[in-house]
Amino acid sequence: MGEEKKEKRYKSGLLRSLWPYNFNVERYTYTLHRITGVILILYLMAHVFEIYHVALGPVAWEQTMALLGSLGIWEKIGLWIIAGSALYHGANGFRLILNEVFGMLLGKPVLPEYPYTPTSLSRNQKIAIYLIVLVVEALWIWAGIYLLWGLGII
Amino acid sequence: MKVRIRRFDGQKEWWQDYEVDAKPSDTVLDVLNRIREKQDHTLAFRQSCQMGSCGSCGMVINGLPALACQTRIGELKTESIRLEPLYNYKVIKDLVVDLNDFVNKHRSVKPWMIRKNPEELEEAPTEFKVTPEQNLTFVQFDYCIMCGICLAACPTVAIDPLFLGPQALGQAYRYIADPRDEGFEERIDILDDSHGVWRCHFAGACSYVCPKGVDPAKAIQYLKKDILKYRLLHKKRASTKPAELVQKAPPPNAPKPPPFDFKVEGGV
Repeated sequence: MGEEKKEKRYKSGLLRSLWPYNFNVERYTYTLHRITGVILILYLMAHVFEIYHVALGPVAWEQTMALLGSLGIWEKIGLWIIAGSALYHGANGFRLILNEVFGMLLGKPVLPEYPYTPTSLSRNQKIAIYLIVLVVEALWIWAGIYLLWGLGII
Repeated sequence: MKVRIRRFDGQKEWWQDYEVDAKPSDTVLDVLNRIREKQDHTLAFRQSCQMGSCGSCGMVINGLPALACQTRIGELKTESIRLEPLYNYKVIKDLVVDLNDFVNKHRSVKPWMIRKNPEELEEAPTEFKVTPEQNLTFVQFDYCIMCGICLAACPTVAIDPLFLGPQALGQAYRYIADPRDEGFEERIDILDDSHGVWRCHFAGACSYVCPKGVDPAKAIQYLKKDILKYRLLHKKRASTKPAELVQKAPPPNAPKPPPFDFKVEGGV
């Protein structure tokens, strides 16, 4: 029992990796990127399963459409969450490509001087993140209004 | 002031509270020393230089990995302090963690100068000059004191214990960026691996907590760029395993090695 505890790494694992509290804003973007990525994968799997019913004939397809229609507003809320996930994952993914493939927004290597502000997390990176949040929020709100308008609520 | 410490004695874990007199100018390490001197001599923690140079006193202070000797009580702005061992490490006792994996990862990226002609390291044909501009491209990453704090902050290390981690990758880049080093091709299979640079998703937590301003996240992104450029230009595929780790099986009809002779030549 004691040996088992000793071998275990302290506060490690999936939940710890997704817990950004106390850390920098980039770590929050990381968590959101992971979560939206999982949402998109689940959506794509469900979407492929939905499309697969076309091959089973018109009756199966109509039944699938009826099932989705029976979800009512929950279908629209689900679509809205998927739209938000796609917007955020795409925009933040673009920022990460700039960082990782082109080495942009990182600043140049510098001689560290107290209080040691890392250039990779400094002004340019923050501007990119807040710009992404702003654009994604605006488009997501617009998507929500569009869905509500489609339902005839507004 | 109330100090709450995560204890571990090899069998069980528990939180223990202490009441300590502390001034805002005291460091967390001062407080820990006071507890050990006056209240509880069984409390275990590492320390050495007490000035942010040795990297021994890394621990999690109020939820954020930091050096105890560089964190002043006044900076924390809290009524109590919560101290825990570094996240993502095996705990040996109380605030002392096992750094073996960490050191092995560091060693695995060959953090030393590599020359194509190794004899040059013993007898250099000429002085290897580095201009101040060239020095600036890697000196930041040379400031690493191997405290291991960056691995405690890294979300990828939390889910993948085999991930090389920001410290080792940062040190790999420190040597790759050095104009005197010629070991990029020797290191690339180690770095361009499923547990190498591509496991980093740039959460930046390593750079955020680094007590010496090393910015390992930046070094890792530069490494990714360099590796991509190398693969595109040289059209070389990454092997699944570094060549030196691939052990070739002996042929089936190979003679068996002779039994080991324990006799010491010339006697003891």
